[in-house]
Amino acid sequence: MIIPYFIIIPLLAAFLITLIAGEKDDWAIILSIIAVISLLILSLFSYITMHTETLSYYMSSWKIPVGIVLVQDALTSFMLVLVSIISLTSLIFSISYVRNLSGDWKYYSLFMLLVAGMNGVIITGDLFNLFVFVEISIFAAYALVAYGGKAEEFEASFKYAVMGSVSSTIVLLGIAVTYSATSTLTLAKIGEQLPSINSSIKLWIGGLFVAGFGLKAAAMPFHAWLPDAHSSAPAPISAMLSGILIKILGMYVLVRIFFNIFDAPQFFLNIFLIIGSISMIAGVFLAVGQWDFKRLLAYHSISQMGYIFLGFGLSTTLGILGGVFHLLNHALFKSLLFYNAGAVETVTGTRDLRKLGNLTRIIPTTSNTSMIASLAISGIPPFNGFFSKLIIIIAAIEANQPVYALIAVIGSILTLASFMKVQRYGFRSEKKADVNGKSIDWKMNFAMITLAVLCVATSLMIIPGIREIALDPVVDVLQNRTLYIQLVMGK
Amino acid sequence: MEINFLVMLIIIPLVVSIINFILPRNLQKLFTLAGIGYSIYIVYILYTQKAESASFFGSIILSVDKLGLLTLSFIQLLSFIILIFSLKGLDKEIEREYFILYPLTVAFCNGVILSINSISFMIFWGLSGLTLYLLGLLGKTSDTPKTIKKTFILIGGSDAFLIMGFVLLAYLNPTINWSLNNSQLPLNSLSAYISFFFLLIAAFTKAGGFPFHTWVPDFSKDAPVESAAFLPASLDKFLGIFLLAKIVTGYFNIDFSINLIIISLGALTVITAVMMAMNQHNGKKLLGYHAVSQVGYMIMGVGSGNVLAFAGGLFHMINHTIYKSCLFLSFGSVEKKTGTSELDDLGGLGKKMPVTFTCSLIAAFSISGIPPFNGFFSKWMIYQGLFNQVKEISSLEKILLLICIILALFGSALTLASFMKFIHAVYLGKRISTFDKITEAPFNQLFSNSILAFLCISFGLLSLQIPLSIFIYPALTEMNLIIPDFIGLYNPTLILFLFGIAFIVGISFFLFSPKIRYDNVYLGGSLPEEKFRIAGTEFYNEIRNMKPLKSIYDWADKKYFDLYEVGTKGTFKLSDLFQKAHPGQLQLYLLYVVAGLLIFLLLI
Repeated sequence: MIIPYFIIIPLLAAFLITLIAGEKDDWAIILSIIAVISLLILSLFSYITMHTETLSYYMSSWKIPVGIVLVQDALTSFMLVLVSIISLTSLIFSISYVRNLSGDWKYYSLFMLLVAGMNGVIITGDLFNLFVFVEISIFAAYALVAYGGKAEEFEASFKYAVMGSVSSTIVLLGIAVTYSATSTLTLAKIGEQLPSINSSIKLWIGGLFVAGFGLKAAAMPFHAWLPDAHSSAPAPISAMLSGILIKILGMYVLVRIFFNIFDAPQFFLNIFLIIGSISMIAGVFLAVGQWDFKRLLAYHSISQMGYIFLGFGLSTTLGILGGVFHLLNHALFKSLLFYNAGAVETVTGTRDLRKLGNLTRIIPTTSNTSMIASLAISGIPPFNGFFSKLIIIIAAIEANQPVYALIAVIGSILTLASFMKVQRYGFRSEKKADVNGKSIDWKMNFAMITLAVLCVATSLMIIPGIREIALDPVVDVLQNRTLYIQLVMGK
Repeated sequence: MEINFLVMLIIIPLVVSIINFILPRNLQKLFTLAGIGYSIYIVYILYTQKAESASFFGSIILSVDKLGLLTLSFIQLLSFIILIFSLKGLDKEIEREYFILYPLTVAFCNGVILSINSISFMIFWGLSGLTLYLLGLLGKTSDTPKTIKKTFILIGGSDAFLIMGFVLLAYLNPTINWSLNNSQLPLNSLSAYISFFFLLIAAFTKAGGFPFHTWVPDFSKDAPVESAAFLPASLDKFLGIFLLAKIVTGYFNIDFSINLIIISLGALTVITAVMMAMNQHNGKKLLGYHAVSQVGYMIMGVGSGNVLAFAGGLFHMINHTIYKSCLFLSFGSVEKKTGTSELDDLGGLGKKMPVTFTCSLIAAFSISGIPPFNGFFSKWMIYQGLFNQVKEISSLEKILLLICIILALFGSALTLASFMKFIHAVYLGKRISTFDKITEAPFNQLFSNSILAFLCISFGLLSLQIPLSIFIYPALTEMNLIIPDFIGLYNPTLILFLFGIAFIVGISFFLFSPKIRYDNVYLGGSLPEEKFRIAGTEFYNEIRNMKPLKSIYDWADKKYFDLYEVGTKGTFKLSDLFQKAHPGQLQLYLLYVVAGLLIFLLLI
């Protein structure tokens, strides 16, 4: 049974790094890379072999409702693959990047805790256990945001911690209400009990979860912590946070709870649609006026999360497909863009777009990959973002919600505008850029090229034959709603 | 497996482009030439035998009708001619990328025309916009980054409208399952209107119609001249007008009030762009504004709902790409020799570059609509068609239509005026001494310019025999449109004859009149200084400074009419507003969270 290894491996790596690596950073790097590569292999293996199966693992063989259950289905495997890909590239990017800061083993230890927390959230079938994993990863994230050790970073980390605690409190309150109503914390069991409990309590639970996990997903109006935290963190960590953390702790949990446990009540789907469209528009308007490269990217994370909310909120097969696909695509191109920002900052020492100049000759790989990522996020064919946005727009219109489609279209135009701004000022300006002589080594380039290739390659997932294997099982899990409960409960 | 020619038309340029990544430069050129030559051959085959449509993923993706075939033929032809021009004289630094992007663009444009499925149409449309952006990035002026950003925001933004338009179209027509056959959807619901106008926006932006045209002049100025002749002047016109023709005749069934809106937009395009063109000091920008202004005629013709004007619009599209690329390319030769595209710095080059001058002059006559050149004939058809239309409509519509026609006629006159200035400023007048050593352009450039100039003349003289009966009438017949008999008064041969007589009379006056003395210019007994040279750019300053026009021009200079600039300003204002709500204070952010939570709980 490989399910528990998704948690054991990163957790073990985190402790081993503190134990044996000590002062030797190289060991920490090697250990964490080995851990993440084995996670990648395991998750790819399960993603490819499992298809529509659902596996449950009872920890220490304690049965429900006493013990904790770990569940793996297509959605889980999909998310695990995503986490592994982004973590691996982020680690590879970190190797040279973090040495520019104050490079040490603590970073890698925290990084592995972050991964452990996320994997735990994905794979657990128990509500309180999920909460614990959320806290593990988010605490690691607080520390990593402050890792650079400058005043600005501490401030960002502090804000993040305060807002994070608020959301955790709300979530905890939601869990408490759930427990008092259903007397169980196993997700599947809660789902079984739900139809029999008072509908207003159900709404309360839902409301608290939307607010709590919505804060972690940076949906408007719970978004304000994100730009500070994501722009102050070291670039590979920003990529982790924007690329996967908000999706796992926020989006994945919301989708799992509201689709598989709550059976997607229309009321909450409407909330998804509304906060999705607000995030989409407000996020992009905030982004387009930014001059700080990473802050601009951070605001776009809010806006792009809006698309994902919109896709899931439509709750049709096509909408969910769009949401899942955009979730994957956004992770890829947003992480890539953060690496680009990191590389630019390494070479020029600034993130201010106005101070940058023509970088195409100085760092060609970075400028070319940033072009690919910018086009992908703006929804230009043949890159992946085009197809996921297209699916979401089609889904919105087919669900008879043309207004949301129109909002998505407007958001997409403004996204294009702000990334043209990035390209025009950051990489292809008429000015000459000031550089400090540092260079981008092959490891950083490797991370960027990998993601750039994936940005093109994942567009192929839209081809019917590939889509049926790669994305449809994931969509089925959400489309079949409460089938999850029956599968986990073994009926 | 049987070869499908439609697929080949996309695959061949695509493969050429991919292989060009690894080929050395000279082979690149040869290979591209061979590739595009072969696609011309394929188009020829498509004329002789019926094309099989191509299916993928269980639905028909590629298919071609006569209208598409007409567009395809000229896409290949123009690409081939402009390619010959690009063989020599391109900036060495950009040559490599250029010859990779060039066949790629051809492949994507072919893809757009061939797509009968709206999803593949959107993809190819977006891709052709992307190559436009990448070709533009090869420009070397200091404004290039700014211009290219603007271009792609407009073009890419219009893609988003295209997507929305097509998706709505497919939603309103669930039976067609994304295929783009002529569904003739009536405009009877809000969704249908939105779909129609969004598609119209996409077509207008690509072709350069008012008010989405502002990228064309800037792109023409700042991109390499080859790509300016290639994309905004030729291929993008084909795509935009092709889409417009499909929208008004195929996808939707529209009534005359909508036609009238399109015609008015066309007339506005004509007049605004030509007014702007008159005052330009940069040659490429001037040509760019004319590329916009001419689109106005095509829009008027194609969007008019009258068969004759529709045919005229299509014919004008063909003619325009021919003479406009000729103008761009010949001016490109001048720019490459002199190193400048500012009209103030040029002058008197006609004697040094006689062939280029002649080609340029012929194209200038064509664009100004002087018979017997091709530009006249298509405009003539459009006017005739519109006048025919006047008879059949209510009096209010009549007035509006007549105003549009008058504006368009006026636009024609101003085009001529503007090209007098252009020709004078570049080829006539006094030459600056630094240009004394200038020689004629290389052979390949002369060759492609001469072909284009030759086409200008032959399409004018033999308009009925060649372009109309071979290309345009079959397309109309296939669309079940009956071609009216119209050519009552105009006969190209007769006009040529009359013009010939006038020309001979003029020449004989010149030859047999009393002696003409050539001398240097003196001013107060001394040789004139540079500042007394008439550059020609000031020809129409009076118009620029006329009372009501002056303020309009001033506003235009401040970019009040530029949708992009206005949009940018508005966006930044809104952005500032949002920014103010995010001052970085934790208390405020917490307040947002609490407020959000409260709203949720209240909703429950």
